[in-house]
Amino acid sequence: MSESSLMVSNLNVAYGESKVLFDVSFEVAPKQIVCCVGRNGAGKTTLLKSVAGFLKPLSGEVTAGGDNLLGRRPYDVARMGIKYVPQDKKVFSDLTVRENLELGSYATKDYNWDTVFEFFPKLKILLDRKAGFLSGGERQMLMIGRATLGKPRVMLIDEPTEGLAPSIVTHLKQVFGELSKSAALVIVEQNLPLVCSIAHKVYAMRDGRIAAELQGGALKPADCEPYL
Amino acid sequence: MVNAIKWWWGILLAFGLLAAGRLFLPLPFINEVLIFSIYTIGCSFLLGRVGFISFGQPAYLAFGAYGTAFYLFYFGTNPYLAILAGVACGFIGACIVGPLFVRLRSDYFALVNLALAVIVFYMMQKVLAEYTKGDNGLWFLTNIASTPILNIGKSSDFFIFATLVAIGVWALYKYLDDTLFGACCLATKINEAKFQFLGYSNFKVRLIAFVIANTTTALAGSLYAVYLGSVSPEVTAAARTADPVVVTILGGVGTLFGPLVGTIAYTALRDVLSKFIGNWELFVGFILVFIMLAGEKGLWGSAAPWLERLFSRGKSADSKAEGQR
Amino acid sequence: MDSQLLLSGFIFGLSMASVYFLMSIGLSLCFGLMRIISLDQLLYYAVGAYLTYTVSTASGNVWLGVLAGVAISGTLALLVERFVFRRIYERELTFSMITSFGILIGGVGVIKAIWGVVPRPVRMPTSDLINVLGTEVPLYRLLVVAIAGLVYLGIWVFLNKTIIGKAIRAGIEDVEHVEGLGINVSRLFTITFVIAGAMSGLAGGLHAPLIMVDPNMGLEVLAFVFMVVIIGGLGSIKGTLISSLIVGQVVSIGSLIYAPLAMMAPFAIMLLILLVKPTGLYGSTMVKK
Repeated sequence: MSESSLMVSNLNVAYGESKVLFDVSFEVAPKQIVCCVGRNGAGKTTLLKSVAGFLKPLSGEVTAGGDNLLGRRPYDVARMGIKYVPQDKKVFSDLTVRENLELGSYATKDYNWDTVFEFFPKLKILLDRKAGFLSGGERQMLMIGRATLGKPRVMLIDEPTEGLAPSIVTHLKQVFGELSKSAALVIVEQNLPLVCSIAHKVYAMRDGRIAAELQGGALKPADCEPYL
Repeated sequence: MVNAIKWWWGILLAFGLLAAGRLFLPLPFINEVLIFSIYTIGCSFLLGRVGFISFGQPAYLAFGAYGTAFYLFYFGTNPYLAILAGVACGFIGACIVGPLFVRLRSDYFALVNLALAVIVFYMMQKVLAEYTKGDNGLWFLTNIASTPILNIGKSSDFFIFATLVAIGVWALYKYLDDTLFGACCLATKINEAKFQFLGYSNFKVRLIAFVIANTTTALAGSLYAVYLGSVSPEVTAAARTADPVVVTILGGVGTLFGPLVGTIAYTALRDVLSKFIGNWELFVGFILVFIMLAGEKGLWGSAAPWLERLFSRGKSADSKAEGQR
Repeated sequence: MDSQLLLSGFIFGLSMASVYFLMSIGLSLCFGLMRIISLDQLLYYAVGAYLTYTVSTASGNVWLGVLAGVAISGTLALLVERFVFRRIYERELTFSMITSFGILIGGVGVIKAIWGVVPRPVRMPTSDLINVLGTEVPLYRLLVVAIAGLVYLGIWVFLNKTIIGKAIRAGIEDVEHVEGLGINVSRLFTITFVIAGAMSGLAGGLHAPLIMVDPNMGLEVLAFVFMVVIIGGLGSIKGTLISSLIVGQVVSIGSLIYAPLAMMAPFAIMLLILLVKPTGLYGSTMVKK
């Protein structure tokens, strides 16, 4: 069996005294789209942050293609090809779109923006606009586009379609499909119809635990509901 | 009755030990420790319970010291009234700046207090030099009248008086800790937003704590004035601003006896080191850094939990014995 | 009011503003990026001044002294960052305040041990007077202003035109996010801290010929520098520039009108501004206390 792109085993995470993740395990194969669904507070963002290195787990294992991720600084994890795209569409508002991308290039040493513009042609027009003046959809395009620099092997994306217009969601759906041809995607989402249409595998989370692992393909939103 | 003893025994023991120290330690040392620890407990309370560090405690010390000094120099001779005057000055001063200061973020708070201390120093040294006699200071030792029972103009009687005052101050802070107010202070330090949602006012709690802490500091200033018999701008010099901070950290922030332990350690260290090295401030600074990096618990802060365990092990052994019988 | 006096007071104010500005930039950047209060910057100021004294007395060249001051302060800052601050970035503000304060007074103690407590004079590199609009002004003060102006330009270019500068600006907005991109923020912190230390050293070196160098000089200027950062708001370069100009002029012109005013006026202004805007003119409201 080919090595998994990302494997998490028995992860336990706490914020100070309160535990938020209990024995979480999941696996992502190369070029697979895995979606994580669950109510607010279920622990989805905590899970992504722990994998990316922003939170120190109490116990457990996180490996990517055989390399251990635990205990590494977030920038180390990113350099290993595991890119984290946080929620809330935070871009560097005082910098222009061009400068935002330049930071991505500086970090990954990948100065070829062709693929970014292939996915998101609109960014080319917005290059000299300050990121603070972008719309929600444009910000998300910038964040995801920037994350593709350096050809990551895993992308951890947190609630990308939240608050976005349906046309942009459709565009992102296409982009995810293209991206998964070269990278594994772990997407946290509340948009169940979208999840069901793109995911190869779905993990449902509830109260800090994995409640169910569902196979994609013929999945319907109603199938996920009981586990949320 | 039992409860009263339980409540008081710590304080009485601590000051009893200190008073006993009179037998083999120099009187000036003990008096200094008493006054300085009162000075520090205000700072410790602000930092430990409310979460604010102030780099300007000398300002409030000066309010008290100069308040007392003015009274004794210009108005009267009764030292008790003088101390009252000093405390009143401190109280008024804290009430004036308090409403503005406590609204600030913690770093601004620290620095604004520092600026206040510098301003007060400058005012006492130059601006009001007519009244304060500038750098020469106000001298009024001879003005202090003899008072019945305790002649606090004399060092030995002052010692008794200061001990009683200290016990009173400690009792006040212990009481505060035990009440709802004490809990409020902690709450406002840990989670402002939550405290507000519960319906309390962060501002009010902080303001009250600020006024209490700095009035205590002014009290220490008044005691200094009576004890030394003179006051000069030196009490509020910028260099002195470090003292209460260092002692607070050294003793252990937020603990009841931290200020006392810290003061004893600091004063002893200072007295001993300055005999050998002219430059002991060097060590003070690095000790502070060391304590912060090593876990910021301070002397009493580290010792207290250990002592507690020691005593509670004794207690549970007793109750085990009781149960078996 | 004599216009000549006013003009030289204005120049005096500009030169004071320059010194305050150089120091405040360091504090502002350190706060904005690393969320620490670096009171030890006052130590690097004193170190810069003392090295200027020593080297200029030994070599006869004051500018060489200033250079030495900058170099040693920067190095000292590097060491302090590596051994102290790196351990405490995650802690709350008060922690860094107390720790850096400890470094400051410890460092002052070391200065006393090495140089003694007697104030030292530093020769001005040039005592020439220059005629500006009919008034004779000390050339040296103009040079100080010019150097500070160059530094401001340099910082501006650094932050806006270089990739590391842009990373620092991004970090001031959201340092976690910068790290998530794969940028080594540890190194950014070190770079920023060393720049801050070097500039404080420069401030000390430039200020030295104008005053007597004494061990407590850092503590004496502490109140003014902090009035500048509080008025301008921690984390804002533009705010720092404006407030140092304000404070510089207030101190200078104020001392012409009524000497004690020079000291109190910035304080009064600071209180007024804080009444209206508790985070300073351009300060950012921080979520964490």
